[in-house]
Amino acid sequence: MHAALDERLQAGEQAFIDQVIAGRTAQPGALLSILEAVQNHNPHNYLPMESLRYIAAKADVPLSQIYSVATFYSFFNLHPQGDNTICICRGTACHTRGSRNLLQSLRLDLGLGTEDAEDTNEADKLLLTTSDNKFTVRTVACFGQCALAPVVEVNHRICGHVNERTLQREIRNLERESE
Amino acid sequence: MPKKLQLRIDGEMVSALEGQTILQAARNSGKYIPTLCYLDGLTPVGGCRLCMVEVSGIDRLVPACTTPIQDGMSVSTTSAKLTRYRKIMLELLFIERNHICAVCVSNGHCELQAMASQMGITNVRFSYNYPKLSVDQSHSRYVLDHNRCILCTRCVRVCAELEGAHVWEVTSRGIHARVQSDLNQKWGESRGCTNCGKCVQACPTGALAEKGWAVEEMIKRNDNITVLAHRKGAGA
Ligand code: SF4
Ligand code: FES
Ligand code: FES
Repeated sequence: MHAALDERLQAGEQAFIDQVIAGRTAQPGALLSILEAVQNHNPHNYLPMESLRYIAAKADVPLSQIYSVATFYSFFNLHPQGDNTICICRGTACHTRGSRNLLQSLRLDLGLGTEDAEDTNEADKLLLTTSDNKFTVRTVACFGQCALAPVVEVNHRICGHVNERTLQREIRNLERESE
Repeated sequence: MPKKLQLRIDGEMVSALEGQTILQAARNSGKYIPTLCYLDGLTPVGGCRLCMVEVSGIDRLVPACTTPIQDGMSVSTTSAKLTRYRKIMLELLFIERNHICAVCVSNGHCELQAMASQMGITNVRFSYNYPKLSVDQSHSRYVLDHNRCILCTRCVRVCAELEGAHVWEVTSRGIHARVQSDLNQKWGESRGCTNCGKCVQACPTGALAEKGWAVEEMIKRNDNITVLAHRKGAGA
């Protein structure tokens, strides 16, 4: 079974996971830190299914449990993330200061459309990535920076009092940097 | 040998062993407390909140299935407040999924339905918000209908604790939570599944069923699971 698993993972990735697991055996909560290390190591900041399978076999954790943990924490991604992450706060303070419009205009600017899948509603956390993999847009329930509302986090940098213009400027800067 | 403790349940003095839960003490002395997620033989998780009881000296209600007894404790298992809360818990289960009994294989043999009729629930006071969910028919012998699932995790626990296969887990959170097998694969593709059917027998509703039964025909035997668990010495 292991041979078949290994083929789908690059040799380097496999060695990395082996090392991560070896450093954490018999540690309570080891699975969380294993997943974190593997995700951070991934160039697209996500956990590919092949990696999850490999971790399950190596760390002797049921597949179902790995999947359960990886979907419980919004920190873990099961799909490739864009090079840049824009996170818009949809908490109450930010909402009253126009974060919905910010989100809608950002989605239009990035060509992500404003239609949501059937089974989601506005209160759900959003996670969208552009087809060129340059940008990921997500939402949070509150950054705890309500005095700065509306708050947007651009690649882990908190920006306060954001309006559509400043957000567009941020995006343009990021696009220019990546060229 | 664990110590013997004395407690009162609905005013009656009973003795039970240290380490036992209020629910175990109650059942052993012939007292009834409604339960859904609890299955004798599996680790209790306190998920459904139907077994809430009042303990004198404690302001909040406590779940009988996970609360250990204490010497001199005084428990009441019925009151107007408890009935009100238990009804709310059931109604909240009903709004989360499509529990239309008339077309369910477990109609007439469903623990959720039995609980609701026992508590005299004839309508639900909250608005339904259940999504339209899929039915997984990929397994050769069994089906999983998410629309009937109450997320009690009895299937998860019986598979992990008794069968040792741990095929099931709960994925995601809140209204998006679902039971899922392996890496969210189709049940029929699960490599860990031994086809033992314990999850089907443990499931209180029609969410997990054997194929080949029509409406009202699926009768489950979760007493077998309890017997098996006690024989194995598993569970608390
Ligand atoms: S499938 Fe059945 S046993 Fe499993 S969580 Fe849902 S209701 Fe409970
Ligand atoms: S509501 Fe946006 S930071 Fe608190
Ligand atoms: S039976 Fe105790 S919480 Fe479900």
